Formats: sequence, structure tokens, C-alpha cells
Amino acid sequence: MAPAETIEPTAAPLQAPPPPTDPERPLHTLPPPFTESHLEVLTQGAEALVYKTVFLTPDTPCVVKYRPPKPYRHPILDRRLTKARLLAEARVLVRCMRDGVAVPGVLGADWEAGWLVLEWVEGRTVRKVLDGWAERVVQKGKEGMDRVSEQDEAMLGLMQRVGRAVGKLHEIGVCHGDLTTSNLMLRTLEKQPTQEAPKSRGRLTTSEMRMMAEDGVFPDFPSVSRGKEQDEAESLEGEIILIDFGLASHSTQNLQDEDRAVDLYVLERAFAATHPAAEPLFKEVLKAYGESFKGAMAVLKRLEDVRLRGRKRSMLG
Amino acid sequence: MIALGLEGSANKIGIGIISHSPSKPPVILANLRHTYNAPPGEGFLPKETALHHRAWVVRLIKQAIHQAHITLADISCICYTKGPGMGAPLQSVVLAARTCALLWDKPLVGVNHCVGHIEMGRSITGAENPVVLYVSGGNTQVIAYSANRYRIFGETLDIAIGNCIDRFARTLLIPNDPFPGYNVEQLAKKGTHFVDLPYAVKGMDASFSGILAAADVLAKGLDESLPEDKRLKTEDGELVTRADLCFSLQETIFAMLVEITERAMAHVGSKQVLVVGGVGSNERLQQMMGIMARDRGGSVFATDERFCIDNGIMIAHAGLLEFQTGVTTPLEESTCTQRFRTDEVYVGWRD
Amino acid sequence: MASIYTLTIPHYPTHPIHIALFRSVRNAAHLRAQLLSANPSFDYAFLDATTILSYHQLLLAAQLALHAHLTGRSKTRTPHSELVFRLHPNNNIGESYRKFGINNASSTLIAIKFSLDPEITGESVARHLGEVVEGESVDIGPNGEELAMFADVAKIRKIFKLNDGGKGKEGAAVNGEARDERKQMESVILGTIALKGS
Repeated sequence: MAPAETIEPTAAPLQAPPPPTDPERPLHTLPPPFTESHLEVLTQGAEALVYKTVFLTPDTPCVVKYRPPKPYRHPILDRRLTKARLLAEARVLVRCMRDGVAVPGVLGADWEAGWLVLEWVEGRTVRKVLDGWAERVVQKGKEGMDRVSEQDEAMLGLMQRVGRAVGKLHEIGVCHGDLTTSNLMLRTLEKQPTQEAPKSRGRLTTSEMRMMAEDGVFPDFPSVSRGKEQDEAESLEGEIILIDFGLASHSTQNLQDEDRAVDLYVLERAFAATHPAAEPLFKEVLKAYGESFKGAMAVLKRLEDVRLRGRKRSMLG
Repeated sequence: MIALGLEGSANKIGIGIISHSPSKPPVILANLRHTYNAPPGEGFLPKETALHHRAWVVRLIKQAIHQAHITLADISCICYTKGPGMGAPLQSVVLAARTCALLWDKPLVGVNHCVGHIEMGRSITGAENPVVLYVSGGNTQVIAYSANRYRIFGETLDIAIGNCIDRFARTLLIPNDPFPGYNVEQLAKKGTHFVDLPYAVKGMDASFSGILAAADVLAKGLDESLPEDKRLKTEDGELVTRADLCFSLQETIFAMLVEITERAMAHVGSKQVLVVGGVGSNERLQQMMGIMARDRGGSVFATDERFCIDNGIMIAHAGLLEFQTGVTTPLEESTCTQRFRTDEVYVGWRD
Repeated sequence: MASIYTLTIPHYPTHPIHIALFRSVRNAAHLRAQLLSANPSFDYAFLDATTILSYHQLLLAAQLALHAHLTGRSKTRTPHSELVFRLHPNNNIGESYRKFGINNASSTLIAIKFSLDPEITGESVARHLGEVVEGESVDIGPNGEELAMFADVAKIRKIFKLNDGGKGKEGAAVNGEARDERKQMESVILGTIALKGS
């Protein structure tokens, strides 16, 4: 046999750390037509940069979801993935819209350049709603207030709407893939259609300002009308809108109960992570879900398995 | 404190001796390894691998102690790989560990192989709290530390990435020496055409078996004895080579790894990434990971073959960390196991 | 002079678009003949207004046409023909014209002109259309709602295959608030044309 591959003793094995990089790298330059526009950054995920701006008209607020090129991967693969994912997301949204699931509409897309424009949903995430509710529950414990039971009723109603919205989604064969409470929005009840400028939008471009000035409207700055927002912040009325379908899948054959159950499991974990008091609320979500479509009960049964083993199967290593 | 570490969860037997002293970096006193290589076109089988380990373990331990210039009295504990890995090789090494412990009257510490990789990587690179990508022939995991556990954020849903590469090497009859992944990497450097393969990422998890199957099918089209029109060609009509397929396979599966790692980084808000495990020595993977980390304003830490590839020193190191928290493995519990998840280990030595 | 509505689409500030709306049009056949013979002074998108459900639908087609033009990816000869093409759910150019373009019997007309040349102004377009269109010019208000006033919902539904057997209604009912059916229809149409050709 050959001698062992010997490695000499090393006294100081510590490697020099890699050079740190500039953490303040400029944001990606957006492709046309947004290159020259000033967009308000909403989030910067690993997958996509999300901005708020207007589209089609100066008073149509929207979300631009841009998937920048990933320079680490082969350009052919990069283009293929960007296009496939952008289109998968957009098609699922159109499918949902067609079948009556409340989602943001697709307003525009350029899958070669990597951007997708979606309808702006005015409102709060269910996560925010739950946080606010949990806070009030704690307050209630301290003060023994009466008004809370009314609030609880409204909260249960909201939970039922969440359950039915998810049920509807699953019924048409779509799985969300990342169903957290941050991806459920409570849309603020629509007020009278107005001719005033949209509220709290991002920086306006000069051309937008010029146009608005010509139309005789003036940008409304977020600092005004604080009291109204406070009212809205407490309301639990409104439609549940599902957002962020970046990991969604649609199958025409029987959608696997496993995927549906995992959706529910992820949502359940998100509820649990908010506040212990939010856990009973989730029962109401499941109840409404169970009644929402044929086959929902089978999914709930499957959810029990998923809970037992966690999201992952146990495997080698 | 000095620990002897024994590793043999796959086709390498590694013996390492490490010394820890308070507030100083650990010192590696010996790091020996011998690899069992199956003939080209074949993978290593448990029985032969176990035989190999048994044949080498005694002389490697002797040589390591000699090289470290220590006496048996200097050794505080004997650390061995408890799992995960292949059953027979694991058993042959735990047997040696137990024997040494009884002969020399030393405590035993059973070590999780993945945790060994992580701790060694952290120590060598100085990465404090990185997202860890652990990629080897048996494992593919994206890990981040939280509350005394190394939590698995993403992992393979079927075969390990190293297994995927090794099996494709077998398909192309690429030699197993020094290791198949290295030879695939060298061949890939000559590849120029990117051939489409499936891409299978689901959230933070990945799947490799479908890609391997597709690559194997494409490889059939490389056969030079096929008529011209049956051979695999690019869209521009050029013949696809073995190098092109290795290149395309690497580009595809490494892109998947970088993607799930980036997601985990975004999720936990970390800017550091540490790559460990045998596949982590691949320069293209390190380069891709580096570009991703740079774009996030962070950096990638990687180790060289001495520590990337299975070794005894990492077992000694992680075992000694645990030993210093007062944990030992009683003889009657000194078993090994093929299944041993990274997140099962209580990491008592970190805050 | 025809009444002209001039706008710029956000993010395309240097490319004004001029739109005119007519009712009781009497010479649709003549106008169509000019398009067919590629008469250079008739470089317009002439749409049958019954196929336009909403202002946004028209604007999206204009945006898509402009974007294709500016990024060199037009499928048709001019931005105006591109606009007509972009309105249609599939990739058949001839069919786009048959469905959305004016036909000999059209009595309502939406004329669109991209200002790709500084010589083309709202005034020049107003004058020319005023001369050539025999019909009654309709003023367009700031929200463009008038552009949808002649919409033939049943016809549009058919073009976009939106006969979904009431599934949509059901969806609206389960989620509390009744959704505006026409709004939902618009949303599906926008999504469909935005993704055309993918």
C-alpha cells in the first residue's frame, strides 16, 4: 500500500480573512423605462428588488418587482431563470385574477429585462394587524377594557376571510409556496374614487409633477391626515389580498395535498411566531379553510402529518 | 488540552491531533489522512472501505502521535465521528476509538461529522457567525447558528451534491483519484458550451437527482461511435464535449447552491458565508459564492483541501470544544449512526 | 379641429401621446382604406371604440408599443400598428386589426398618435383629424373615462375568452367585499396583454 498522504503540522492555521467589500454599494440601475425614474425602494430581497412608483397614469400607484441579473451564474442560465420565474409568477397572478382569487393585478412586464409591474395594494399586512391585536390583548389584560370583545368578533371575521382566501387559492390549483402573514394584506376599504393625488407615494419625477401641476392637483405629503390613518389602522374590515407569488406553483392535475398542507403549516408557524395569543386565532382560519372547498378536509388531515414531522422529512445526514 | 480525532465516515480515514490553550488559536499537531479509491466507473462500497480503514487506522494513529511529539499522557480525550455517514466505515473507526480509550484510559467524545466541518471552518477562517454551506459526497445543507443549535435552513431533497458529481464522473468514466470532483472540476475548466439542464430549487431546498438523470441521458449523446446526426450538439450545431457537460453540470448545480445560500443569508441577515465539505474546495464554487457575497456587501470564507475534505483534525477540534463544556460519551453509548442531523447537537460552547 | 387629449405615460416623459375620440363616424371605410394603402399621412392607430373596456387597457397597449419601439423589439412596422397588435390576446397581427382596428361599419373611433417627432403636436393632430374624420369629436376628461364609454362588454369578453361560468363571482363573495366585476375583468385583460408573447 502507498504511504499515507502526510500533512505537516501547522502552527498557525488561521487564514487571512477575505477583504471586506463596500457595504454601501449603489443600488442596481434599473432597465428602461425606469432607468431615469426615481423609485421608492420597498424591499431588497435575495431574488428581487421591489419598488413603488406609478404606472400607466400618474395616479395609478404600483409595485415594480425587478429581478436583477445574477453575475455569479452563467448568462444563459441567468436569462432562462429570470424569464421563467417572472413569467411563472405573473401567470399565476393572472390565473388567480381570472378565477376570482384576490391578488394584485399584473399591469406590465418585460421578461427579457426582468421587471414586473403589479397593482398597488393599499392596506396593512396581516402580520401588522396581528401585531397590533396582540398588543391590544396585552393592554386588555392590564386595563380590563370592554371594547375588546367587539374587536375579537371582528378579528374572528378577519380570520375566516383569511381561511377562505387561502381555500379559494388552493381550490383553483395554486400553492403559494411562501404563505406567511407578511404575504397576506388587508386591503383598506376603498374610499370614494378621488381626483386627488395618490397618498404617500414615492418621489415624483419632475415630469409627473409638471403633469400634476397642469392638471391642477398637488402632491399630498404623508405627514398630513394622520388622524384618518389612525382610524384605518384599527379597522379590521376589508378584503384579504394574497401577495408575493414568487415561489408559487400551479398545477392542472390534482395539486398535491402535501404542498397545500405545507402552505398551511408555514402560515401556522407565522401565526405562532407573532404572539402566543394569536395561536387560537389560527383555529378559526383552519375552520373556514376546511369549509371552503371540496378536498379541504383532506388537506387538514395532511397538515397533521406535516406538523408531526416538521416541514422536512428526516433523511440521511 | 490535546485531543486525538478519528474520522472515517466515508472513503477517507483521517487522524488528527489538536491542542487548545486558553485565548490562543488552536494548534494542529498532526493531520493525517488516507483515501480509499475505487476503480474508475465504480463508487466505493461500504465493505471494502471499512476494510481499508481497518488496515490503516493503527499505523496512522502511531504516525500522528509520533509526528505531534506528544506522549499518551498528553491526550485529554479521544474524539470520533458518531455520524452521519456509511455504517461499516463508521463502525470500523469507532471500534478503534473505543479500543484506544480502553487501552489508555481516556474519555470518549462522539462528534457529529457536519458540526466538525463547521467548527473547523470557523476556526481556520475566523468567520464568526456565518451562514454555512456544507457540501460533500453525503451532505448538502445550508446552516445558520441560532440559540445553541446549527439550524438547517435548506438542504437537498434527495441526493447530496457531491454524490451527484461523483456519479456523473462515473458515467463519463472519469478517474476517482485524487477524487472524482477534482477531476470533474479540471475537465469543466475546458468546457465552453453551456448545455441546458433542469434546475431544481424549492425555497431554500434543492434537488439533484433529476439533474443527474438528465445529464446521464445527455452523456449518451457524446459517444463517438454514434452516427453524426445522433450525437449531442449545441444550438449552433457544434459537438458537445465531455468538458462541456462537466462545465454545464457545475454551472447549474453550483448556481443552485449559491441561490439557496443567498436566500438563507437574506433570511437571517448575515453577510458572511462559510463553505465547508469536500465540494467546498471547488474553485468555481468558491468564485461564484464570492461574487454573490460581494454583491450583498459581504464575503465568503473557504478552506483548502486539508480541511475541506474529511479529516481527523476537525473531529478532534469539535470534540475538544464539546469536551471542554464537560460533555463526554460514556463507553456504553459510544455508538455510531448513519443518520445524525446537524441540528440534533446541543452547541454548548457558543453563546 | 378635433378635440385632442394629450398625455405622457409615466416613465416615458419625452414621448407624448395624442388621443381623439369620435362618435357617429360616417367614413370609417375611407379611413380604413387609407391604413390599408399605407398612406403616410395616416400613420395612426385607429381603433373601434367598442373594443376598449378601459382607459388603462388602451394605455397599457400604448406603453407596450412604445416600450417595444424604444427597445427595438417591435413585432410590427410602426408604433401605431404595434399598439393595435398589443391590444390583442394572441400573436396574430391580422386578427388584431380585425378585432380592434376600425372596420367599414365602425361608428365610434379612437385615434391615437405617438409624438415621435417634434413636428407632431396636439394641434397638428387635431387639425388633421378634424379634416379627415367625418364624425362628432368627443371631449376626453382628465381620467380618460370617456374612452371606455362605447365599450361592448360582451364583445370584449368574447375576445378575451372571459366566459368563466361565474367562477369569478363566487370568488368575490367569499372574501367579504363584493368586487367590482368590471374592474376584475379589466385586471385580467391587462394581465393577459402584458404577458402576450411570453
